Amino acid sequence: MVLNLLFGLPGERPGGLVLTVLYFVASGLGALMLGFAYAAVGVILPWGSLPLQAASALLRGIPLLLLVFLLAHVPWLTTGGAGLAALLIYSFSHVGESLRSFLASYPRYLSEQARLMGIGPAREFLRLRMPWTLWRAWGALLTHWVSLLKDTGALVVLGIGELTTSAKVLSETSASYEHWLTVLVLAAALYLGTTLALIYGLKFAMGKAGKVMHREQAHA
Amino acid sequence: MAEDAVQLNQDLWLAMAGTMVLWAVSGGLAILLGLIMSAGSLSGHRLWRLAARASVHFTRGVPTSLFVIAAGIGMMRLARAPELPRFYPGTAAAFQHVAWGIVLALALGSAGHLAEIFRAARQALGRYRLEQATVLGLSRFGRGALLARECAAIALPPTGARLVHHLHNTAFAALFPVTDLFGHVLAESNATFRVFYFTLLGCAIYVILGGLIWLFTRILEAALVPPATEPRKRTVIAWS
Repeated sequence: MVLNLLFGLPGERPGGLVLTVLYFVASGLGALMLGFAYAAVGVILPWGSLPLQAASALLRGIPLLLLVFLLAHVPWLTTGGAGLAALLIYSFSHVGESLRSFLASYPRYLSEQARLMGIGPAREFLRLRMPWTLWRAWGALLTHWVSLLKDTGALVVLGIGELTTSAKVLSETSASYEHWLTVLVLAAALYLGTTLALIYGLKFAMGKAGKVMHREQAHA
Repeated sequence: MAEDAVQLNQDLWLAMAGTMVLWAVSGGLAILLGLIMSAGSLSGHRLWRLAARASVHFTRGVPTSLFVIAAGIGMMRLARAPELPRFYPGTAAAFQHVAWGIVLALALGSAGHLAEIFRAARQALGRYRLEQATVLGLSRFGRGALLARECAAIALPPTGARLVHHLHNTAFAALFPVTDLFGHVLAESNATFRVFYFTLLGCAIYVILGGLIWLFTRILEAALVPPATEPRKRTVIAWS
């Protein structure tokens, strides 16, 4: 039972928690990259990007389940692709807005210092502005990522064999009440463990990154 | 043809009513549970505080989808399901208990998040403001009401956002024979093959309902926020 929850049901592997994590990482990273592009457009063209911002706000108003269902009917998308695209769009609509607000608050004096040091706008964006924004926005991003990890459960509507679907199938086919309860408690424990690992893992990574940044600043 | 259209409209209204009732009952329960958990998190009693923190972590760490599946399958497996009065519109009498189970699951899915919002709002008031409320000599209830009003300015915007998310979560009810809007979209899309039409209709209704929730919390915020915490115009100090 534990193996089925971890790796998916026989014949449908990889599934279970492994597939949940794969969907989470792929959609989270993709949305982060798209979010930075969206934030850059929003900061460079504050008024011109209003239609884009409105579209993003509209996307946030649509339930993820409905988005998953809609994309599942796009002919050129596979079921797995539709699930990934839905999670990506959903995550992007939240992450993009957070990044835009943090990117816009980048201090002007830092840009001026970069120009004085002969750093061009593109290099400044990649080497200075993006890390600065990521550093400031990481609290908001972490909250969203915890939510995204749990929201991968919405793929149950397409029957994609991630953890929630595996738990659903196993609990539906269980003969006894004890087995049903064990499946669901185990699935809950796996989600909880993964969430805690994500929170503390990222906190640790950010702590390390912070120390490196301080060391570099001290050297400078 | 006309009869079909009328029937479709009636079903849509019923599905919307189902979603709204699910949202209102589970949202109300989630707020109540969130208040209990946040009170526990701030309690001076260690055991009570630990229990509250554990329940907050548990309800925030487990997906709502899993809570709903656990509750739905659990209720469906009940050997002798109780006959409950019809409370959830559109849901058959034989499945009213499933709807109650899903309501409880939805409430648990949001309770931890709301508890954290309430706890953060109270802590944001600061020690001095809390001490001021104590020295005013009000009764326990009066002090609670005063602090709740003070917290409202901070807690209402994220509560509104969470309640919109909570509305989206009601769509998980479609996994079971409980009438709701997403279930209606699924059923009509499968029956008519007009997937794009019904999905867009569903999207539009969810966006409107979400907008109404936001508007309601915004109005509540304007009504509850005490004058002292309203933003004041900046005073420009003239250069002498």
